[in-house]
Amino acid sequence: MRIVGLVAEPIEVLERRIGQLRAAVREAVLAGDKARARAVRAELRQAERSWEDALAEAEAGAGGTAGAGGTAGTGPPPGAAGEGAAGEGAAETASLLPLREQVYEALSLLQVPAAPRLIATVHEAFFAATFPTTRVTSLRRDEERSFRTAPFARPYYICAALAADYLSPSRGLLAVSTWPMEKRVIGSLSPRVDFLEAAIRVAEAIERIPAPVPAARRLLWRFAASIPGAAADANHIQPDAVKQAAEAELRVHKDADNRTRREAAARARRQLTDVEQLFGSRTLRPAGSVAGAGSAAGADGEEARRR
Amino acid sequence: MNLTETRLARLRGRAMPRNHDARTISALAANPGCARRALMDAAGADKQKLAAHAGYPAPFGQSQFAIGRGNAFETQVKANGAAQLLTLLRGHLGLDIAEAHYTDLGAVGSNESSELRHIRTRQRLTAADGHAGTMFDHPMLRLRVGGRYAYLEPDLIACKLHGKFYVVEIKSFAVIDGQADPAKVAAAAIQSAVYVLALRDLLGDDEKVHHEAILVCPENFANAPVATGIDVRKQLTVLVRQLSRIARIEDLLATCPGDLTFDLDPDENQVPRRPPEELLASIRKVAANYVPECLNTCELCYLCRDESQGTTGALGRQVREDLGGIEYTAQALALAAGQEPPPDRAEVAAVLVRAAKLRSELRPAPRAGLS
Repeated sequence: MRIVGLVAEPIEVLERRIGQLRAAVREAVLAGDKARARAVRAELRQAERSWEDALAEAEAGAGGTAGAGGTAGTGPPPGAAGEGAAGEGAAETASLLPLREQVYEALSLLQVPAAPRLIATVHEAFFAATFPTTRVTSLRRDEERSFRTAPFARPYYICAALAADYLSPSRGLLAVSTWPMEKRVIGSLSPRVDFLEAAIRVAEAIERIPAPVPAARRLLWRFAASIPGAAADANHIQPDAVKQAAEAELRVHKDADNRTRREAAARARRQLTDVEQLFGSRTLRPAGSVAGAGSAAGADGEEARRR
Repeated sequence: MNLTETRLARLRGRAMPRNHDARTISALAANPGCARRALMDAAGADKQKLAAHAGYPAPFGQSQFAIGRGNAFETQVKANGAAQLLTLLRGHLGLDIAEAHYTDLGAVGSNESSELRHIRTRQRLTAADGHAGTMFDHPMLRLRVGGRYAYLEPDLIACKLHGKFYVVEIKSFAVIDGQADPAKVAAAAIQSAVYVLALRDLLGDDEKVHHEAILVCPENFANAPVATGIDVRKQLTVLVRQLSRIARIEDLLATCPGDLTFDLDPDENQVPRRPPEELLASIRKVAANYVPECLNTCELCYLCRDESQGTTGALGRQVREDLGGIEYTAQALALAAGQEPPPDRAEVAAVLVRAAKLRSELRPAPRAGLS
């Protein structure tokens, strides 16, 4: 069943999550991993704020509803819910938005799976705020945990792109759960196709805004430099020309890539559970690691890989 | 586990094994006569720790900053489906536009074991005829060194449609005005040669792998990458010869005592408890072959240098060859001073006496202009 809860999260879910986060902070501190501890602490504070908000909301809106579950799905417009805590102090920079919403904004602009670094750059160029890419790594883990605790409780999840061959989470790529599966599986031509599509999206976004900031133009140049015939040099770069060049190359790859992706997506829908469809299959893991412990084990692996 | 592996595991002790990589293979190839290094590398012992615990810490290894810089540059070049790299390869190899495949061989599913990755690399590379792959990221190759397999991870392997495979090596030293540090290029060349050899071994066909490796470096003072081809044929010949000379590990094992171990006896915090003198004695049971070049490549260099003090070899290969058969400098000096030589060293003794005479004639002469 899909509960599109517009309130950030039901209070019980939040409480469970706060408990988990506290445990995670303790583990990180004991392991001496300062960066992770700091990241998890931030998440914890965020969760505690959401909890306070949810409680206040329940108190205000309640009287009659008896506080059951807290799916007060009538109120705020989409997107506003998660911002809750952030909303008031909006005089500051946009970084007051929760990380997952910043990532969502950037991914929605790109419309293709992307790596944390590109996501951060895009957000900086178009939404005037950036975030450390290291925090994004723990985001996917938190999203997976949240999904396992209460499946489909959020309108969207930041999830993994899947490698087309083993349907395992593709290294370092993030996607949005509401995208069709075809978009989230990655075949051998997909990185190039996605790169070209991202270039087109970025060029279009720049065309839309009257006075693009230098960061946006720099981003476009970075795309253009790797597309044949897109631009001669960084000073003479036309969004339209970049778009046309990208589309021209895209036409060469598109059919072959679509075939691979359609086939892999069909396989994913046939073989994988809900959680696996979003966060990738781990069935090739060596014996001994239980599926339930998958997220924790995956976390260690990811840490090691980053080092 | 066969007998050899059991013995190597005993040598290593309780530490996690460290594997050969392209760096250690090229270092090994530089000094193939060193049994100590060959044995420790084969057993996967942590030479850095051993040297430090035995009292000879070597300021050795790559600096953290260099590693960070190298990784950042590699990430940049490979970002977004290796977009920058693809542009370079299109220019360098003349790739067709349709050849833009990018395959990540970094893990099989979520499993990152070397063996599995090697098998997958083999499958994908042998199946690839350009249709299914252009760039292979994080491939895993292996090479038989000293009787055991060493797993190797080149930066990238590129394949041209109906063409050959190329080893791509990404390095973060700058190519300024078409010039780069010759020592660094030489090191990159021998490292690439190791990969080319391993790739040829995997494909079973020397013709399929091009003898030119592609070196990707930052150009001038910016971070924009540039590709240069380096011919590694010479390095390949050297490597093949040296690898065949590296004594087979079984033969080496046969010469050392059965209870020999380099175990550090670590406690639960990984602090070594074994007495350093005892460890030193164990290390000394295996013969080393110290040459001054070891200072650039081996973690045990200070230990071996200290041990070899007074031998002619410590002065370099050239000196040792010139003084053929004389092991200690003291012997050489005694012979030069006129000591009666044993019959088999009469020839070299005569040379030494003459050299000493020349030197004594020259030494008292005033050195005008230098005072």
